[in-house]
Parts: sequence; C-alpha cells; structure tokens
Amino acid sequence: MREFLKSTRFKVLLGFLAFLVGIMIYAVTKGGYSLSGASFVQTATKPFRYVSNGITMKMERVADRISHADAYYKENQQLKKQIGELNKQLTDYDDIKKEVEELRKLVVIKEQHPDEVFSQPAEVLGYITNDPFKGFTIDKGSSDGIKPYCPVITPEGVVGITIEVSATTSTVRTILSPDLSIAAVCSSTNTDFGIVEGTVLTAEKNTTKLTHLDPDHKLKQGDLIITSGNSGLFPKDMAIGTVKNTGFEANGLSACAEIEPCADITRLGNVFVILDFTGKKEDANAAKDTP
Amino acid sequence: MRLKTPREKRILYTKTTIRWILYYLLIFLFFTIMTSGTYTKPILLVPAAICIAIGNDVMASAVTGAVCGFLTDMACGRLFGYNAVLLTVFCVAASLIFELYLRNKFANYLWITAIASFIQCWLDYKFYYQIWDYENVSRIFYFVSLKVWVYTVISSVLIYMIYRLINRFLMPKEHLTIEEVIKTA
Repeated sequence: MREFLKSTRFKVLLGFLAFLVGIMIYAVTKGGYSLSGASFVQTATKPFRYVSNGITMKMERVADRISHADAYYKENQQLKKQIGELNKQLTDYDDIKKEVEELRKLVVIKEQHPDEVFSQPAEVLGYITNDPFKGFTIDKGSSDGIKPYCPVITPEGVVGITIEVSATTSTVRTILSPDLSIAAVCSSTNTDFGIVEGTVLTAEKNTTKLTHLDPDHKLKQGDLIITSGNSGLFPKDMAIGTVKNTGFEANGLSACAEIEPCADITRLGNVFVILDFTGKKEDANAAKDTP
Repeated sequence: MRLKTPREKRILYTKTTIRWILYYLLIFLFFTIMTSGTYTKPILLVPAAICIAIGNDVMASAVTGAVCGFLTDMACGRLFGYNAVLLTVFCVAASLIFELYLRNKFANYLWITAIASFIQCWLDYKFYYQIWDYENVSRIFYFVSLKVWVYTVISSVLIYMIYRLINRFLMPKEHLTIEEVIKTA
C-alpha cells in the first residue's frame, strides 16, 4: 500500500481526479449550459439513444406488464365495471330523453286541446300479423284508464281507435280500415264535410279516403282534413291527413278524395290515447262517426 | 312401447321432457317472429303444430294445436279461440292420418301442411274480410291471403327440418327383441 501511495500511478490518479473536480467546478460556473464537449457527445449519440430508449422502454413495459399483471387485471376489471355502469347510465339517459321528448309532445297537444284527458305515452308493441289495414297493439290497457273506442293519436294527427282492451294492452284499429269512419271537414274551407273511411285499395298505399263529399266541393291537393267531432267519437279539430287527389265515387253522385294520413301509420313508435274529451259520446258501440 | 329397465325409463322421460321443452321454445320463437315488423309474414305456427302432431299421439297434438292456435289468435288479432279450434282440428286430423294411413315422410307432411294452411288462410279471408263485403275485397285474398299461404308452405320446409332434427335425437325409438320381431312378422 505504501508503495502504491508513493508510486507515479497514484500521483497520476490524483491529478486526474483533480482535473475532474476542476471540470465539475467549471461546469457549475456555466450556469446550466452544457460544456461544449458534453454537448457534442449528446448530439452525436442522440439517434442511438432514441433507438436504445425505445427498445428499453418497450422491454420495461413488457416487464411491467408481467410484474404488475394482477394489478392491471384488477384495474381492467374495475374499468370495465365503470364502463358498464356508464353505459347503463347512458341508456337510462336515452330512455329519459325519449320520455321527455314524448312528454314535451304531449304538453304541446295538451296546450292545443286543453279539454282532453290523455293517457301516458303508449308504446306500439307490434302490428297485427298480416293485417292489410295495419292494426296494432299498444302497451297500455284498462288499468291505465283506456276503454274500447277511445281515440288514438300522435302529435302529427289521428291514428285510429281502440277496439279491444285488456288490463295491460289495447288493440287499435287504424284510419286505414273500412271499419272505422270519422266525420271530417276541410280545415281551410270549413264547409267541405265528409267521412274518412279506409278502403282495400287505399290501404295498400297506406292512405285513406274521404267520402260523401259534395260534388261542388272546393278541396284541392294539400288541404288539411280535420275531425269535425259531430258525433262525439273523436274530439273536434284533430288533424287526420292531407288531400292527395280528388275524384268522384263510382255512382257519380258524390265526390271523394284520397287522404294521406298526417301520422305515418306504418312506422309508429309511441301514441297517445284520449281518455276523455268535451262532447264525448259515451254510447260508442257503433264505431262510426257521422258528419 | 316396451320399457325394460328403470334406466331405460329414466332416459325416456328425460328425452321426452327435453323434446317437449324444445318444441315449445320453438313455438314461442315462431310467435315472436310473427308479431315482429309490418311485412307480410308466414303463419309459422300452423306448420309447427302439424309437424309436432305428425310425430306424437292425438292428445298431445290436440293440446299443441290449441296452444299454437291461441298464439296465432293473439298475433293476428283474431277472436281468441278461433284459430285454436281450427288448429286443434288440423292437428288431431294430421296425427290420426299419420298414425293410420300415411308414413312419416316429408312429402306427406308438406301436402298436409299446404292443405291445412290454405284452409286456415281461406277461412280467415272469408270470416274477417269477405263476409263484410268491402269494396275490392278479393284483392285481400290474392295479395295477402295467398301470399301468406305461399310463405307458410315455403317456411314449413325449414320448420320440418328443425323438428326432424329434434326428433332424431330425442324421439324414443322402439326396440324389439328377435322373438318379438318374429312374432309380429
């Protein structure tokens, strides 16, 4: 040891150490800037460090995945659960949004017809299989206050009438059916009265027919046909449809018009049932309205 | 059918139970299909009921016919029980015909189904449309009733295959001893 301390190697080492300390002190005096040599080395090695760092990071990630697999699995499960809850909330939100929209429509109808008592929005459960007149079933029944022969509407207009009611469902006969007759009048002229009644031919085109019109009527294409409400089966002033074309009955004694229903009967989602209205005829056994 | 051991009995009961559960699950599925959408659809429950009837005894066929009929009434918005009566009659008749006169072959099933579904469609048209004498009512027969009938006959092929598959695995087979075969020969 003594020999080493006295040797030239030791002196050289001390000198080198002093040089390094000197560099360190010099670097301190540079105030945060790299020394020119260090800067050169860093620049020269930059691309290699990129590659090297990339590989190392990947390896570290693999190692991290292996070593923390359990923790990640738990975290993953927790996140999945959270996503499930959020999705459920989103579904609830969509349902609520849909319900709010339906209720908003109901408010609009209610404002337009303050004397009428409406059911909650009723969802169409399904159309009657192979019914050429597009009858359908709704998810509200007698427990919701619905009775046979209650008018069924959408915000767009009249759809039909309930014909068979159970505790939780009701069957609706639509305005495309020849078995439902509604007293109607032209909204603009208010003089052209008739009866809206479906036929086999018009039902094929998802339209209905306004019959028993005066041959001198003033109806024209696009005119709105509304309920006249004369006999108490339907409330007054509810939109039924618009005039598509006019013509004469086969007997030539009266005129008729093809009516495009305001509501798309074939694509119904929700409908409203009018439970009560001013002028309602209680004895509605005959589902026929007269002008 | 002759049952020999308790094990054979147990297998028979299990297979029969599973078979009937599958029959009724399919009936429910057909009902669901029939009540979905707005397009013209086949009356799937008619071939299904007949398919079950041709492979089973009269009483089971009658009950199945009634169930399918009630479901058809609900799907088609008909008087509750109308189709039940019709299908019960069809199923009992089909069961008896196959038991006494016909072999359980696809061709026999097809023409029996075609006749039964045609009668069902025709009566439906008669009682629900023609009787009210609507203007141009015959169009309903040509463009709805006949269309439904054709769809029903076409769909009966698939229905037969499904039920045939169930029967192949779950229908109990009669096993005779050599002595019994000789005796019955």
